[in-house]
Amino acid sequence: MKAIVVFITFLLSLFTTNFLQAQTINWENLKSDEKHILNINVGWEYSFVYGLSYGYHLKTEIPIILEGSFSFASGEVIFDDFKTKIGGQINFYQIDNFRFNAGIHGIYRRYGNPLVTLQNFGADASIIIGYYKPKWFVAGEFGYDQAIVTHFKHTNIYKEVYPDVKNGWFEPTTGGNVNFGIQGGYSFKQSDLTLRAGKVMTQDFQTTPLIPFYVQLGYSYKLD
Amino acid sequence: MKTNLLYSAAIAVSIFFFLGCENENDIDGIGNLVPKTVDQDPTLPSISVNGTQLHAETFGNPNNPMLIFLHGGPGSDYRNGLNVQQLATDGYYVVFYDQRGSGLSKRHDKNSYSIQLVLDDLTEVIKYYRTSPQQKVFLLGHSWGAMLGAAYVNSYPDKIDGLILAEPGGLNKKLLDDYGEMSRKINIFSEVTSNLLYVDQFLTGKENQHEILDYKYGISSSFSYAKGNKEGIPGPSPFWRIGTTVLESFTDIAENDGFDFTTNLDQYTTKVLFLYGELNQSYGLSFAQKEAAYFPVSEIEEVKGTGHEMIYFKWENVHPIVLNYLNQLK
Repeated sequence: MKAIVVFITFLLSLFTTNFLQAQTINWENLKSDEKHILNINVGWEYSFVYGLSYGYHLKTEIPIILEGSFSFASGEVIFDDFKTKIGGQINFYQIDNFRFNAGIHGIYRRYGNPLVTLQNFGADASIIIGYYKPKWFVAGEFGYDQAIVTHFKHTNIYKEVYPDVKNGWFEPTTGGNVNFGIQGGYSFKQSDLTLRAGKVMTQDFQTTPLIPFYVQLGYSYKLD
Repeated sequence: MKTNLLYSAAIAVSIFFFLGCENENDIDGIGNLVPKTVDQDPTLPSISVNGTQLHAETFGNPNNPMLIFLHGGPGSDYRNGLNVQQLATDGYYVVFYDQRGSGLSKRHDKNSYSIQLVLDDLTEVIKYYRTSPQQKVFLLGHSWGAMLGAAYVNSYPDKIDGLILAEPGGLNKKLLDDYGEMSRKINIFSEVTSNLLYVDQFLTGKENQHEILDYKYGISSSFSYAKGNKEGIPGPSPFWRIGTTVLESFTDIAENDGFDFTTNLDQYTTKVLFLYGELNQSYGLSFAQKEAAYFPVSEIEEVKGTGHEMIYFKWENVHPIVLNYLNQLK
C-alpha cells in the first residue's frame, strides 16, 4: 500500500509542479495553437459541487491534453470535502467526425464530517466516444473511479460510539463506482459550453450511491 | 525538469517515512471500524432464539412485570435507550435486546428479513425471559420500535398487557411517508447534505461487505442531529452499530410491498400511551392523534423540552409519565 501511495504522490507532485489538469472537450474545435484551456463547472457529483480546471494541450500528432482539476462540495464548511485530479485525455482514434477518446487521472480527495475525516488516493479512467463538429459535439462516456487507499481519522464523537475504532490507512480498496452517460457542448470563438449527465453505480452493479446521478454544466476558455 | 524530479522524490520519501509510522488496516477486518457482534465476541451478553443470536440483557427481578424495550431504526440498537433500565428499580423486569441484524446482534443476509420474522423474534424473546404465564408483559417502543410494538399487538392483541409508543414514525405506509416528508427536507447546498452524500465516492461496499456498509451509515448519522433539524434532536446519541442491511431490507419491503400495522388494532382494548416530544416539529399532537385514533383507548402525553430522541435526552421527563401508566396496569 505504501508503495502505491508513494508512487501516486510522486506522480501528483510531478504533475503539480507543471500544473497540468479533466475537462469536457470539443476535440474538433481545439486548434493546434490553443495551448491553455481554463474551465469552470458546477453540478451534482455525489453532492452539489463547484469545480475549476486547467488543461495543457500538448503539441503532439495525436491530440493529448494534460489536465488538473479541483472541486469542492457545497456547504457551510467549504474545504472539508474536496477532490483534486491530475491526469490527461487522449483522442486516440478518429473516423470522419467520430472520435474515440480516453482519459486517466490520479485523485486525491478529502471528506470530513463530525465523526471522521477521510483522505483518499484513487484513480479514474474513462472512455468517451462521440460525434464532433466545430460548433458542437455529442458523446457517450463510460468511466470507473476507484478509491484505492483511504486514511481514517475519527473524532471523539465516533470514539464514544466505538472506542476501539482504528485510525490510519485502510486497504485494499475502500470503494469503486462506475458511471455512464452523455456529454455534449456548443462551441463559439474560443469558448465551449458543455453539459455532462449520467448514472452512477457501485462497482458490483448491484447497488447505487444515495443519489445515483451526476450532472455537470461547464464553461471552457481556450488561450494560445 | 530535473529540479521538479528532485522535488517530487523528496516529497515521496518524506511521505514514505510519515506513513511508516502508521499501521495499515484491513477494510474488511472484523472490529476495525464497527464493534464485533455477539457471534464474533462471546463475551457479549446474548440469547439464541428463532434461529438467530440476539444481543440482550436484563435488569431487575425476573419475577416482576416484564417491560421490553424496542429500539428504533430499523437497524439501530438499544444503547440510547438504556435510561429505561431505571424502571427496574421501580419494580419492573426490564428486557433489552438488539433486534435481528441490528446493533450487536448477529447479521443476516438482506433477503432473509420480513416483518413476520421480527414479530416471531419478539415472541421468542418474551418466551425466553418470561418466568410464569401470569407475568404481565409491557412493550415500550421508540420510533421504529414503536411501529414494531404496534405491529405486534396488531397481530397478537391478547399477548401484551400494555403498550407505550414514543413517536412511531408511521403505523402504515401512508403515515410513514407523511412523517418522512415532514422530517427529512433536504437542502442540496447544505453541509448536512454534503456530509450525507459526498462519502459515497470513498466507501461503497458490496451487499455482503457488512462492516463497510454499517460503518458508512454510522458515520452518516450526523445528518439526524444537524443544526436546525426538524425532529428537535440536539446532538449525537450513542449507538453501537447501525445494521445497514436491516435498514435497507425493511426500506425495500416498505417501498415494494407497503405495510399496514393498523388493520386489527381495534381489537386491542387496553389503553395505549402515546408520547411525543415538544420540540419535534415533524410529529406533534396532530400526528399523535392520527396514530392514536386507530386504538380504541389511548392517552397522548407531550414530553417537554425534547424532540424525537426523548428517551436519551429527557428521560427524566419521560420516566414519570411511563411509570404512572405502567403502575395503572401493573
